[in-house]
Amino acid sequence: MDDRYDVIVVGAGNAGLSAAAATSKGGLKTLLLERNILPGGCATSFCRGRFEFEASLHELANVGTKEQNGSIRRLFDSLGADVGWCTEQTAFRVLADGHGGYDATMPSGMEAFCDEMERQVPGCRDSVVTVFKLAEEMNAAIAYLSSGKADPNVLMNEHADFMRMASHSVDECLEALQMPAKAQNILKTYWPYIGAKTSELDFAHYALLLERYIRTFPAMPEMRSHELSLALEKAIRDSGGDIWYNCEVTELLFDGETICGVAAGERKWYAGHIVLNCFPSTAYSQLMEASKVPEKAAKIDSARRPGSLFFTVNLGLNRSCDELGIGDYSVFLFDSPDAGQQYDTLFDTERSFIIANCLNKVVPNASPKGTCMLFLTTMLTEEAWGEVKPEEYKRVKNRIAKRMIETYERRLGASVSPYIEEIVIAAPPTFARYLNTPDGTPYGYQIQPWDTMISRIMNARNEGFIDGLYFVGAHAERSDGYSSTYANGRSVGERIVREVQKNVGA
Amino acid sequence: MWEHNLNSLNPGEFANLLKYREDKIAAAAGKGKREERQINKLSKSLHPKRQELRVAEVIEHGENCKSYILVPDAERGTAGCAYFSAGQYLSVFVDIDGNIHSRPYSIVSSPKESLSGKYQITVKAEENGLVSSYIIDHWREGTAVEVSDPMGTFTYEPLRDASHIIGIAGGSGITPFMSLGKAIADGDEDCSLTLFYGSRTCRHILFKAELDKLQARCPRIRVIHVLSDEHVDGYLYGYISAHLIRACVQETPYSVFVCGPRPMVSFMDEEIEKLGLERKYIRHELHGELLHPTEEGDYPQNVPETVKITVLCRGVTTDIFGSSADSILRTLEKSGIRAPSRCRSGECGFCRTRLVSGTVYIPKSMDMRRKADNRYGYIHPCCTYPLSALVVEIAADNEFHERKE
Repeated sequence: MDDRYDVIVVGAGNAGLSAAAATSKGGLKTLLLERNILPGGCATSFCRGRFEFEASLHELANVGTKEQNGSIRRLFDSLGADVGWCTEQTAFRVLADGHGGYDATMPSGMEAFCDEMERQVPGCRDSVVTVFKLAEEMNAAIAYLSSGKADPNVLMNEHADFMRMASHSVDECLEALQMPAKAQNILKTYWPYIGAKTSELDFAHYALLLERYIRTFPAMPEMRSHELSLALEKAIRDSGGDIWYNCEVTELLFDGETICGVAAGERKWYAGHIVLNCFPSTAYSQLMEASKVPEKAAKIDSARRPGSLFFTVNLGLNRSCDELGIGDYSVFLFDSPDAGQQYDTLFDTERSFIIANCLNKVVPNASPKGTCMLFLTTMLTEEAWGEVKPEEYKRVKNRIAKRMIETYERRLGASVSPYIEEIVIAAPPTFARYLNTPDGTPYGYQIQPWDTMISRIMNARNEGFIDGLYFVGAHAERSDGYSSTYANGRSVGERIVREVQKNVGA
Repeated sequence: MWEHNLNSLNPGEFANLLKYREDKIAAAAGKGKREERQINKLSKSLHPKRQELRVAEVIEHGENCKSYILVPDAERGTAGCAYFSAGQYLSVFVDIDGNIHSRPYSIVSSPKESLSGKYQITVKAEENGLVSSYIIDHWREGTAVEVSDPMGTFTYEPLRDASHIIGIAGGSGITPFMSLGKAIADGDEDCSLTLFYGSRTCRHILFKAELDKLQARCPRIRVIHVLSDEHVDGYLYGYISAHLIRACVQETPYSVFVCGPRPMVSFMDEEIEKLGLERKYIRHELHGELLHPTEEGDYPQNVPETVKITVLCRGVTTDIFGSSADSILRTLEKSGIRAPSRCRSGECGFCRTRLVSGTVYIPKSMDMRRKADNRYGYIHPCCTYPLSALVVEIAADNEFHERKE
């Protein structure tokens, strides 16, 4: 039995899959090990009765159309991974209650988005257009930084606006752009996709995210995100990679100080490059001896905290969305127009904001005729979840879910409770069970002012503490999100391919 | 005229980012043992990978049926019983002559009892039942038993179900309702239960005394015994029917929960249809394995009796032979290959396996695969039957198990 590989990837989450796809496509002998019985991590689905529910995906950025393809569509295309994309024409609807509240439905596509912003808030168009222009400029700056360079003169001469945005918050930058308050609020709607407060989140990160979702059309795969995971899995197999499920890695193997392989119980496999699609904290505490953990790596890890926690309610309804009067795919329900106050609801399970998605609005045949699926998401902090005993768990889950369903009904004026044929509630412990992340967060480490996406990118190379060991995933430099984790895995995979080729060449 | 004021922000602050990061990292605690986080702890306590238990007591229920009280075996690493929802099951792993077979058994005891380290399951020896007969013959006080975490969705969900449940139980299908009844009486589930329990004769009624006690203890529970083979005063005679349900229960809405042997469930489905309920008000317990696939209407002709299955697992290839009337999972188990499995009814997807080549039969009623799994050639071996020689790639059952080479 052959136990030698060029690359071993541990964890078949989005970044693990795209890393393994990149290395096996690049001709490296690749082994992908996954503790669960199927790939994807968050990118999966589950069946109940006549419904197949989406586990986590709200919308995938950077897909675009066949004619105007985005980077994610190109990534899947380049791997020969075939996905049935269903593009979204509306970016989001946002309902904000309270003083100065609003109800805005924002289209996808830059022009249409800017037009609607202008209609909602006359006089804001120029400032909104500027946000997208700035985001485009940032791509060049990030490409420059990702190459490992950071010459202050080059930055100052060519990327001064980028430097401003990377070191100032969303709130500060939108204020400096002289954008009317209501327009600022609508533009901040996507903050939950990062899960950081807009007074602390750097504008560079947020503007990039906004641009990714608005410029090229976002999309959903026809067969839930499980289809994405299987398309990548097939791409890995097609280029000769091995994938083994139900195979939990228990130890990283070292030859002296050099990493040389992994073990799952008694079995061992060897490779010069090990890619971990798990949290560094998991690796440091469970997969290696404390003496092997570099001091600075341990310090960074303890300075960080897990990102936001998810609480989702999947409803299979026995009426169509038309019959129920559900008109939108994606609705953000806030009880205040102010993003700071919206963020504060994360600390209160009775008030936390809700994102409601009706998949049938994008994928009409997602469930049988005469039914539809409604996916309610809220986010919580660890404090809000609190200490829950096993015997209280079901009741706590049902209490929060009930509040979310009732809030949805009240705010949208739609009745759904009597039509619930299937319900699946996933609380932070559910995510912890399948993702094995701290507190079950799907979002990696919390983005904080000292630990922004940009500062992670700039430090990615000098914070790779162990040669041959790479971390990929939402906790890594590109932060959370499907497109970020796919891109992160792929770039690390490609980097390994280049390094191997360089060594072969030498 | 709009003009932005971005230049008012100092780009020089960018240079501070790196220092800010370094300072934060320098100030952080370094190495040191950290407590496991509460949420991860809760998750593990609800869903342990395995529970190592032992039989603390055997209760006889007349011929061929016994209950087993299972308690955690600290020596083998299990400190407590995972909490569960009434109606859930444990997948029990039984080693018969070195081959490991799994079977799902509903938990009979209450969720509350699991907190003090106790589960009860009840096993009835089925005709030709390899595993059930083995358990009845071999398990005694002290026997080591390996089970899964509690699984299954045959549970009361207050946001979905009516708060009045009509339970329909046939034979040993009473087991999940025992747990539900106790949970209601304990105040752990907030619903009422009218239980129609079909048995052949008085003698065949399981848990008669316990059911009487539950009714006496909790006004939300009512049990209606229906005997099919015997007239006895105080018991209804015949089969549970739509007519009977209507006669006994006038108030709506209610949710109907059904658990029993296949023929009884098929009969009940026709009766329940007459009640004109919306589909959401009808729930079924796992169907269990289909033992006679060839009797299904759409089963193809000219299928070879014996087929070869080439099994790939972590780089090891093994050829095995089995009957085409056995599910792929059964053949794997009979051949000494331990593959992951839980529900054995097509539902849970735990045995999800890649079909590399060959043709198979999957009964429509049991095909619960994800759409993308279907497209990419994944099957659930517990409800999939070989029609030709197959090549399948399975996951090893756990990280420490490797097939002996």
